[in-house]
Amino acid sequence: MDKVRKNKTAIILFMLPAVVLFAGIIIVPIFMSGYFSLFKWDGMTEGAFIGLGNYVELFTSKTSGFPKTVQNALLLAVLSVFVQLPISLGLALLLAKGVKGEKFFMAVFFVPVLISTVVIGQLWMKIYNPQYGIINTALHAMGLGAYARTWLGEQETALFAVFVPILWQYVGYHMLLLYAGIKAIPTELKEAARIDGATEGQISRFVLIPMLKPVIRICVIFAVTGSLKAFDLIYVLTGGGPAHASEVPSTLMVSMIFGRNRYGFGSSIAMFIIFLCFFFAISIKKMFKTEVE
Amino acid sequence: MKRKLIGMALALVLAMGTLAGCGSKTETAEGNAGTAKGDTALTLWSIATESDSFNRAYTQAIADFEAANPGVKVVHETFENESYKTKIKSAVAANELPDLFYTWGGGFSKAFVESGKVLAIDGYFTDEYKAELPQAALSYATYDGKLYGSTYTTPVSALFYNRKMFEENGIPVPTTWDEWMAANRAFLDKGITPIGVSVKDTWVLAMTHDALTLKSAGPEKVAAALTEGSQSYDDPDFLASAGKIKELVDMGAFISGATGLSNDEASALFYNGTVPMYLSGSWMGGSIVTDAPNPEDFDVIPVPVLSGNAQSTDFMGGAVDTLMVAAGTKNPDLAGKAVFELTRGISKYAYLDGAGIAAWEKNYDESGINPITKKLADYAAEATSFTMWFDTLMDADDAGEYLALLQGLYVGNISPEEFVKAMAAQLDK
Repeated sequence: MDKVRKNKTAIILFMLPAVVLFAGIIIVPIFMSGYFSLFKWDGMTEGAFIGLGNYVELFTSKTSGFPKTVQNALLLAVLSVFVQLPISLGLALLLAKGVKGEKFFMAVFFVPVLISTVVIGQLWMKIYNPQYGIINTALHAMGLGAYARTWLGEQETALFAVFVPILWQYVGYHMLLLYAGIKAIPTELKEAARIDGATEGQISRFVLIPMLKPVIRICVIFAVTGSLKAFDLIYVLTGGGPAHASEVPSTLMVSMIFGRNRYGFGSSIAMFIIFLCFFFAISIKKMFKTEVE
Repeated sequence: MKRKLIGMALALVLAMGTLAGCGSKTETAEGNAGTAKGDTALTLWSIATESDSFNRAYTQAIADFEAANPGVKVVHETFENESYKTKIKSAVAANELPDLFYTWGGGFSKAFVESGKVLAIDGYFTDEYKAELPQAALSYATYDGKLYGSTYTTPVSALFYNRKMFEENGIPVPTTWDEWMAANRAFLDKGITPIGVSVKDTWVLAMTHDALTLKSAGPEKVAAALTEGSQSYDDPDFLASAGKIKELVDMGAFISGATGLSNDEASALFYNGTVPMYLSGSWMGGSIVTDAPNPEDFDVIPVPVLSGNAQSTDFMGGAVDTLMVAAGTKNPDLAGKAVFELTRGISKYAYLDGAGIAAWEKNYDESGINPITKKLADYAAEATSFTMWFDTLMDADDAGEYLALLQGLYVGNISPEEFVKAMAAQLDK
């Protein structure tokens, strides 16, 4: 076995399929997007090289509203980290303690992750429907009809109306990661703390959460990068509208490329999303590392 | 040593397997198109899915064509409308177009033609066809003086209304803008929201705005501003129609929540008698028959005129549904003939089904057609001009900006003045 491991030809041969796939599906397209982003190109005819023109337009064009979409995506990232993750952590701690029907609740919270996003989108569209949606119906029933609105159709509410299902959908996902993390912590630690007189809250705060840090780090990275490339639910629920109110970089990219034949400009948005994802993933890793030391 | 060899051999097999997996894909795709020995197969892509009202017409036209041309088989593949827009663009880019394909004429297909992937079919447009298909119907399939496609239907947009609701409330059917506004006010006084629209599916709002713009600026001025660039969009006539949209929004004439409703949801409110008016394309005539509980309550009128620049016989619409031939087809002569034969057949069968207004001459019995479609066909036959819907007429980038600006105008982010200025800036780009 050692012989094989030292043999360079074998290493190369065994890695080749994975490397070819990885390069072909991820690395090459990234570089191609980078290349296309330097062109004014409609995807079909010959493109014209315009250097960094697309990137300049990203930040100067008022009508495409790109800075606003980045702001929306960052807001979603903040909400994911400071609202979604605490909820997931709370649920994970609660379930890991051994609530009655632990398995059942696990399944219930995890179901939204399994359901197709388009189905969830249709579901929430019915919930938000101004005529017969459950939210407006409930408001009218409680005599609060004045607060009923077109949740997905008004600029003030559309952004938060699409964020709620996104946050809700992935609570179960993070909960499962954290739950598994908690279960992996040796029970002796908890027992030792209990013997020393720690309450349940203190055990969670001073024993479990510090031990969970690597898992939490992963969750934060997933939550932030997931928010930056959030697309499907927004596309189904509002398509980025009304008047760009709920637009994020990825919906803008799709409407630019496929709606308006601006492959070059769309590619520059793609490059920016990739840059942001790498930037945050690396800086989050750094942040957690310095804290550990 | 032996083990090492086996390991390397296995790795090689694996690697080959992956590569072979990539390679064989195209082969099977081509294999699918093949048919029985000796048959020539033409592949046709369209959006006439089984639930589409044109599906039956396509099927019948294909059957007729196959019967008239023994040994020829048309393989009809259908796709959903929105996803097809993406599919056809990537097929052009990847050079994977089928022999015949459905597309939208005007600005949408401009890039296809410019890329050289579409076959010019002037040579196949024989006198027989010329006698039955008016040249005017082909204006959106003509690029730089050359013909690249043929059409089968001439849709127009018009104001559909619920006659029963007008009668019950004693409100006269409007023929001028002032009468229309009076009718809107009368409905609002009775607590009825007068007009259905979808802003989420912005093309519905665009249809309303397009019609008002045409009736305000007139067909020549619209064409000059949108396609020729010889007229600025920043003009009082264009400002007028944008202002009318704002006026209608401000008076509450459009259904509440239109920004969050899709066309299906909004038009359902028209079919079930919640709102009395809906501005849409002639296909709504067919939908009323299938979707409304009382189709006989409904009727249609041309959009009222706003100024002396336009007449009531100027219509938004025109033959944009186009079949084209790929430049890469192996049987250009057969495909060139098929494109006219098929569109002629679809024109007839779709009209008889009430699915669309025939673009080709109607040399057959048309007595069984539903009255709304018949009326629309008469409008189209007497039309003095056709102007394509703006989002099809303009190229994709301008169209996208137009729809985004319209949303902004509707929700009040921008004023009508800012709207026409932004449109002028986009069109000048």
